[in-house]
Amino acid sequence: MNSSPITTWEGAEAYFTFADSPTAMMVILALAVAATVGAVVASVLHENHTYIDYK
Amino acid sequence: MEQTAPTLAELQTLIEMTGTINMEVFYWWCTGLMVIIHAGFLAYEMGASRLKNALASGVKNILAFAFIIPTFFFFGWWIYLAMYNGFTPDYEAAAAGLPWSSNMGPNLTDNASGIFWGAFVLFAATTASIFSGAVIERIRMSSFLILAIILGSVVWILGAAWGWHPTGWLTVEWGFHDFGAAGCVHMVAGFFALGVTINLGPRIGRFLADGTVVDIKGHSMPMTIIGLMLIIVGFFGFLGGCIIYAGSAQWTTIFGTPVTLSAVSFNTLMAFSGGIIGAYFVTRQPFWMMSGALAGIFSAAPGLDLYYPPLAFLLGITGGVVAPLADKFITHKFKVDDAVGAFAVHGVGGLIGIVGLGIFASGFPNVVEGAPDVSFTGQLMSAGVMALLGFVPGFGLSYVMAKMNFLRVPPKAEEMGLDIVEVPLQAYPESVPAYSAPGELPATKVTATA
Repeated sequence: MNSSPITTWEGAEAYFTFADSPTAMMVILALAVAATVGAVVASVLHENHTYIDYK
Repeated sequence: MEQTAPTLAELQTLIEMTGTINMEVFYWWCTGLMVIIHAGFLAYEMGASRLKNALASGVKNILAFAFIIPTFFFFGWWIYLAMYNGFTPDYEAAAAGLPWSSNMGPNLTDNASGIFWGAFVLFAATTASIFSGAVIERIRMSSFLILAIILGSVVWILGAAWGWHPTGWLTVEWGFHDFGAAGCVHMVAGFFALGVTINLGPRIGRFLADGTVVDIKGHSMPMTIIGLMLIIVGFFGFLGGCIIYAGSAQWTTIFGTPVTLSAVSFNTLMAFSGGIIGAYFVTRQPFWMMSGALAGIFSAAPGLDLYYPPLAFLLGITGGVVAPLADKFITHKFKVDDAVGAFAVHGVGGLIGIVGLGIFASGFPNVVEGAPDVSFTGQLMSAGVMALLGFVPGFGLSYVMAKMNFLRVPPKAEEMGLDIVEVPLQAYPESVPAYSAPGELPATKVTATA
């Protein structure tokens, strides 16, 4: 996978992976947000399950 | 081989690049030192928890740190850049803080964004850790995480945009001066914690039916005290991060007034010392001596760049005396169970600091165009803004969560201990029972054997 936005370091500015591909950046960002939200949701579910025996 | 002298342009480039790299190096190590704050909070909270809750408190603290980092990337930094006017965002100024901006990642033309973002993330995580200690041993992990994200990546940074920003409205309109973030970090986090603690309610057994206060002791006072000292160590990174490194010019505060590290060194150490002495004077015990050290620093934090050092010492003593008394007052009078005194140390300490600067440092000029001089009225009103900014969302959100029965663990789980119920592990499985069944003696009353 060629994720480089540059072909030379001469004059390079933003050079992080997919810096020249807004679509790819948005997909990755959305996945990162989903992972964060998902972890909180998983915590809620874990607790709901855990506390069944302690109601 | 012929040697040629560098041109003026080459020398200029060299000087500028040296300044830029020095700036990065400075904030890099400030950020690293601030991680020690979290090592301290971790030890502090685990030690302040009973044995049956020690690991759950640790998990909670670690997760707060972990969740603040991405959420501050997603929206926290943007809030800081956008909201300096109040509630009206400046979209143009904040464009560089959008999570898809070319500034928000490796960029050879931007040495500043990442290193400042990193330092601010650590400030954000500090607010979450301040709140974390107040609610140990009975809050649900998931509700805590949501509240910590709201505090660390939304609420405090809004306060920072207003009063800890080159053109924040509190500075521009009221001349607000708060060098060490006593308002946006400590007051906001302390008052947020107070709001949540009211709705969360006390730990089971904290108050008897007749209102008598029962002292619930943590399982390791030494761990707590060492944790507090680590927080102090980390605060030297925190306070370094409050200074703007301007390359070839004098250091400045975040709102542009000149400052030196020497000034901050004088006053931080004097206030630290005063806090310990003040707390020792009224409590004679090490937990409050170290908490008093923190309260002492916060009580002088807004003017660490301005004070005559003995004045910082006296303000430190004031913070060290008042914090334990304030904690005792809210515990006995209002039956609020703030497990580590977070509100008293951070909320009250920060309040003393901000109002104290209005009393002792009125008349100092601001450099932002049109901004009034520092004044008692400006500091007092700004303290009110910070208190409300922390308390209202903390109380409001936790009130809704409590109504949804989502804020607190079930009583049986609380009595059993959260380590075995939720983690599930025991902190010291080869030495003492880490939990007790409902109706049995609590684990803290079991004598440890080797």
